[in-house]
Amino acid sequence: MTLRSLLRAAVATALAAAFVATAAAAQDPRLGRLDPGTRPLVAVAIDSARAAGLPTEPLVQRALEGATKGAPGPLIVSAVQRLAADLGRAREALGPGTTPPELEAGAAALRAGAGPAVLTQLRRARRQTIAVPLAVLTDLVASGVPVDSAAAAVLALAARARDADLVEFRRAVERDIALGAPPTAATAAAAAAADARISQLNAGARENRPGRP
Amino acid sequence: MFEQPEDAVERIVRQLQRPVPIDPAVDGRVMDEIARLPVPGGRSAARVAWGWVTRPRHIALSPLGGLAIATGVAALALVLSGRRPGSAPPAEDTPREFEFVVVAPRAASVSLVGDFNDWDAARTPMRPSQRGGPLWTAVVPLAPGRYRYAFLVDGSRWLADPAAPRARDDEFGTPSSVVTVGGS
Repeated sequence: MTLRSLLRAAVATALAAAFVATAAAAQDPRLGRLDPGTRPLVAVAIDSARAAGLPTEPLVQRALEGATKGAPGPLIVSAVQRLAADLGRAREALGPGTTPPELEAGAAALRAGAGPAVLTQLRRARRQTIAVPLAVLTDLVASGVPVDSAAAAVLALAARARDADLVEFRRAVERDIALGAPPTAATAAAAAAADARISQLNAGARENRPGRP
Repeated sequence: MFEQPEDAVERIVRQLQRPVPIDPAVDGRVMDEIARLPVPGGRSAARVAWGWVTRPRHIALSPLGGLAIATGVAALALVLSGRRPGSAPPAEDTPREFEFVVVAPRAASVSLVGDFNDWDAARTPMRPSQRGGPLWTAVVPLAPGRYRYAFLVDGSRWLADPAAPRARDDEFGTPSSVVTVGGS
């Protein structure tokens, strides 16, 4: 090995150490709960997400969850990196103006198996925030509803339903599943009931509205 | 014999300076006459004021002056509508209190940990039910969003919430639950 190559290696090592040290120095103080080997790697992942314009709080929370649960460092780092990647995919599907709660819910929906197209359709279908519809979709899948059925039901309701209607819809599905109904049938029945309730509410609102000439 | 002009002026001045008796009722008579005069054009004061207000006028305004007036009007509208410039819409971020309940028989302590308290077991200790028994509760204000959480029993045992959906994206080998808080 020549003197020049030794010098190159030394400079590269020093630069890498400086980069990691800078990231560690600017890191969130809450990351002090991570072990010293894991902390700078998580900090680098969080800094990369910040530079990409992604929300960093979910990443901090995921790292803290791992620390509190006593997970090994590499597992925490990979969980944070995977969540950052999911947040990036969610933003691609939902568009640049998406709020952090929507991105977080979108990342969870993607992890649950919903395709990016579902996220995009949901964005187009609903004028209000779509954090809750996405969360309801994820929760339904977690309850055993096939992702296609869950996505179809949420998409059908999203345009007119309030957040509270969607949460109530999810509860109804979970209740029926707990009582023994097949998940797909429970979803279809609860979606129909929710749709009828929303139509009724809207009709009532129209009746109560002052008349026009 | 002719009077010198200076003498004539002096005489006239003296005449004018001489006090003249005036009828004390003359003020009252003058005012009565004025009151009896008709209003010009037959218009009341209100109509005169309305005419003044509604008569078109040409107003010269510099661009800077126009901008200042527009800014003032916008600020006034914001103040009247109860919002400050730059403040978020009053909408959906208001935290709501959520009660978490878990059944943990023979537990000495139970903590609620999650995305809302930095997964810090010391932050939200749960309280045993006042009626006794295995029920533990905690109330936490939550803004709209999706939160992962779990219960930590006696500092070592993890419990998911049986009354809530399970977190699918759990990568640490212990169960977590999800609570979704709606904003509308």
